[in-house]
Amino acid sequence: MSGPVLQVDGLVAGYEPGVPIVRGASIRVERGEIVVVLGPNGAGKSSFIKAIAGLVPVSAGKVLLDGTDITAVPAHRMVRMGLAFVPQTENIFPLMSVDDNLKTAGGILKAKEAVERIARMYDTFPDLRTFRRTAAGNLSGGQRQMLAVARALIVEPKLLVLDEPSAGLSPKLVAMVFSMLADIRKAGVTILLVEQNAKAALAIGDRAYVLVEGREAHEGVASELWNDPVVAELYLGQRAQPSRGGEA
Amino acid sequence: MNLQFVVDGLLTGSMIGLGAIGVTLTYAILRFSNFAHGDFMAWGTYATLAVVGAIGAMVGKVAPIGPFSFGWPLLVALVVGCALTGLLALALDAVLFSRLRARGQSIIVVMASFGASMALRSLLEFVFTSRPTYFSRAIQIAMPVGFGIRITPDQVALLVLTAVLVAATHLLMTRTQTGRSMQAVSQNPALARVVGIDVARVVRATWLLGAALACVAGTMVGILVQIRPLMGFDMLLPMFAAAILGGIGSVPGAVLGGLIIGLAEAAAVQFVGAEWRAAVSFVILMAVLFVRPIGLFGVKER
Repeated sequence: MSGPVLQVDGLVAGYEPGVPIVRGASIRVERGEIVVVLGPNGAGKSSFIKAIAGLVPVSAGKVLLDGTDITAVPAHRMVRMGLAFVPQTENIFPLMSVDDNLKTAGGILKAKEAVERIARMYDTFPDLRTFRRTAAGNLSGGQRQMLAVARALIVEPKLLVLDEPSAGLSPKLVAMVFSMLADIRKAGVTILLVEQNAKAALAIGDRAYVLVEGREAHEGVASELWNDPVVAELYLGQRAQPSRGGEA
Repeated sequence: MNLQFVVDGLLTGSMIGLGAIGVTLTYAILRFSNFAHGDFMAWGTYATLAVVGAIGAMVGKVAPIGPFSFGWPLLVALVVGCALTGLLALALDAVLFSRLRARGQSIIVVMASFGASMALRSLLEFVFTSRPTYFSRAIQIAMPVGFGIRITPDQVALLVLTAVLVAATHLLMTRTQTGRSMQAVSQNPALARVVGIDVARVVRATWLLGAALACVAGTMVGILVQIRPLMGFDMLLPMFAAAILGGIGSVPGAVLGGLIIGLAEAAAVQFVGAEWRAAVSFVILMAVLFVRPIGLFGVKER
């Protein structure tokens, strides 16, 4: 298949009926890309990405994963469809060992397959092997993020979706997490992430969307977006008229 | 000093502990105190009794196994009783708890379980009357095992059964995908969904497991003491005390909590006086909660 891995059209979503937080947002993620969704606080970035992952009720619009309609598929079936989501916080089971965290995520795989994939994750993230018997809640912030990402990758998703992977991390760890994501993309995984830390995210991203008031207001090549005056204006939260610049 | 209280305490503690496993799992995974859990015990016991009666009507009188007071019909009936108790829990969840849980206020679910408890108990009294009944009226001779302790074959069998069930439950919780899924839902239900766990399935597994163990605990009470509609409700407070003492969500904790309370009650009867039975276990509970509010095996909430 050659179409986009993810295509979102006019998504409207919110926790309460009649109070949409996401108001008609559309984006597209091509195979092998890292796409970043930016936006000022309260723009609905997090709700947008959670709606894609089936965690926020969708009232209109469409989400296509590799051409398959996954709109409003229950969250627990999303991994089976090929979409793995890494929440912003509390993205590990703190009282379970690292090993059990990974095994839990491997629950949708055949037992033998799960064992192989977990072994491969330990090769990719040697730190996790060191702490495999440690309760995940005792890991450092960076290791937790590593575990959360490893857990998501175990199912070999078509699309890895991350909600603010840099949240709460020190600048050094932010750099580590983003270089880890760049490596994961090199391994062939398509990534969609929402970020507050625009600079770090744009440094590894291919394309980016700026979300304002629940819809995409701007789209562009990641490396150019940082210096784009429109983005600066939108991003600082000033009430510019949303221009739908790059949208086809 | 007469050490007989140790055996009595371990037996009472086993029954409390098996019941407390269901209480602690329901609390950890479904996030509410199920006051109907004691009545699952009573219903399970009466279901087992009814199946024993049905088998008796079909095949006639069956000789007991070896030195025990019961024959194979009780063992078959216990398995069927566990299944029926599980179905009762699932049915109650479908018509009552799941609907209220969806609204998200756990206190409403707790109150509903209180109502369900009363309804279940009254139904038992209606069908079976409140007169006590027994699995067997045979009298067992207690064997001396030294240190002044005497124990009956039934008591030995039930202590062994408890140990086997507790070990099996612990292995289920820690070594199987179902158990890991249950742990995952208790720690973070939203994340559990994200990693592909069907929370509804985990909820069903929790009810089945808790109800089956309640049925075994009730049947133990039935074999060693007597069968009454109130038998489960009377054990509700010790079961909750055991679950809290052991740390909510912990299977070994619930069992250890049950044993501590059982032993404390038995010791109180022997050394202080029978009227202090209930008081002593709650004094211990309060003392533990003052020193370690999360219970023996509890873990701090994030």
